[in-house]
Amino acid sequence: MTAIDVSRNRPSELSRAQARTGYLFVLPTAVLYLTFVLAPVVVTCILAFAYFDPMLGSHWVGFDNFARFFSDRRSLQILSNTLRFTFFAVTFNVAIGLVLAIALNRMMPSWLLYFFRLSFFLPVIIAAAFVSIVWSYLYGDDLGVINYYLRLIGLPGVRWLTDADQAMTSIIIMDVWKNTGFFMIIFIAALQGVPKAIIEAAVMDGTPAWRQFVRITLPYISPVVFFCIVYASIGALQVYESIVILTQGGPGDTTRSLSILIVEEGFGSFQIGYAAAISVVMTAIILVITAIQQLLSRRWVQQ
Amino acid sequence: MNTMMQTRSAKRIIDWAIIACMMLLAIGMLLPFLWLFSMSFRSVSDAYKMPPSFLPPSLDLTNYWAVLNSKVPFIRIYANSVMIAVVVTIGQLITCSLAAFAFSRLKFRGRDAMFFILLVGLMFPAQVTILPIYLGYARTGLVNQPMGLALMYLTSSFGVFLMRQFMVSQPKALEEAALMDGAGYIKIFWRISLPQLRPALSALGIITFTQTWNYYFQAKVLLGKQDQMTLPLAMDVLRGYLGAGNLSVVMAAMSLSILPVVLLFLIAQKFVIEGITMSGIKN
Repeated sequence: MTAIDVSRNRPSELSRAQARTGYLFVLPTAVLYLTFVLAPVVVTCILAFAYFDPMLGSHWVGFDNFARFFSDRRSLQILSNTLRFTFFAVTFNVAIGLVLAIALNRMMPSWLLYFFRLSFFLPVIIAAAFVSIVWSYLYGDDLGVINYYLRLIGLPGVRWLTDADQAMTSIIIMDVWKNTGFFMIIFIAALQGVPKAIIEAAVMDGTPAWRQFVRITLPYISPVVFFCIVYASIGALQVYESIVILTQGGPGDTTRSLSILIVEEGFGSFQIGYAAAISVVMTAIILVITAIQQLLSRRWVQQ
Repeated sequence: MNTMMQTRSAKRIIDWAIIACMMLLAIGMLLPFLWLFSMSFRSVSDAYKMPPSFLPPSLDLTNYWAVLNSKVPFIRIYANSVMIAVVVTIGQLITCSLAAFAFSRLKFRGRDAMFFILLVGLMFPAQVTILPIYLGYARTGLVNQPMGLALMYLTSSFGVFLMRQFMVSQPKALEEAALMDGAGYIKIFWRISLPQLRPALSALGIITFTQTWNYYFQAKVLLGKQDQMTLPLAMDVLRGYLGAGNLSVVMAAMSLSILPVVLLFLIAQKFVIEGITMSGIKN
């Protein structure tokens, strides 16, 4: 029973007042959500099956847009770029976030904790568009700050953004620097939720720290780990501005992502139906990942 | 007993060694920010001189004046960013707390179904809604209008979810008492629930402001003209406009652009962290 319920005395009048207020309070959100989320999603799904041109006329094309996406070598490369970025960015963001949280989950003065939270969380709250510009200078070939220090200690400079084999790695490095603090914060809270009594009992029994972690802590925080993986994946699949600013999708197409392709096709070449189909593919991937997480976490929780 | 003491002091040493390592790492995380802030005080001719600075070499504001006087209408763009972020933040505080009150305190038909449908929205990326929104905006003249960008974010699934999570964890005794005294639901919401919600409102307000301040993809699609831009877009334009030589000026613009978010975070770190963990953990 979650609602305020004193309605037993005057049932009809009060519950009607509740319903009226309920609908009234939900109305603004419902209207905006319908207009700017649900309706657009439905329209995008419809557009994905059309050739859309408001001037010269539109027509249905069935699955042609999807067929084009999955048969074109360039778009498949872009899909694989995006999945590769997602896999590595998610893995490192979540894993490093967890390691940092474990490192910080110990007694320390509160000002120190404030400082740690500040420095690891600051990159999270600054726009990717801003930090990418900063990193574009740090990553410079000849005038870059990182290469300056590499050369200072006698190492050759790295072509961070202009080498086709390196560029994606450089974007992932920046992404992990930017986002891992978010997961650290979530994991710190999750670790503090692990019952102290269980850990202390394990310590008394002389259980080694590594086994304590695998046997007690990890199962306990596993729902949070799943949440973080899904959350990170949804974000990573949409990667856009960091790539636009650092490499413009290059060298060649080696760092181009689905979001960049959607903007290029939809707003550059006005292939609206095709762009809609690409965004439907992206959303489908997100739905599949979320569904897998729901299944897995239900299993884990039951055990 | 003696060995116990020894392991305990060994543990303290390990603790402090880890903290020292984390300290170095934390400073490393801050270096890009120290660099950008320091570079904004370098003279343009020294911009690319090595070694780079991580502390301001002087407090010369020339580069800041150059930003304000550049061909890019920086003040106008700054005002756009502030306006959009403020409108969206206030809008979400209102719409999300109203909806959260309904979802957590009132009973009506279809309530749980509506809440579920709203949560599904957390999974839809901006990419899958932007094409129809653009087409609709093009027809109604909202393209290239900063308020058009604000309009589409006046509510959010995340905001409603966050506020509802918080409300569910709050006691209802006061609200029930007020109801017995014959107060209406609107009055109860305004007088009793909202004041209790202050921490959640702060968290949502800060998160929403920051998120809106940082939008890029949506802004890039909807706002093309310089006069109508927001700061994340303008930074890229500024970089191209000023050319490679004016790194210092770009960094001055950058310092000004990240200032509100950094200040907000320094002042209200607690609320941001609480809000984020609240939504992440209890999912």
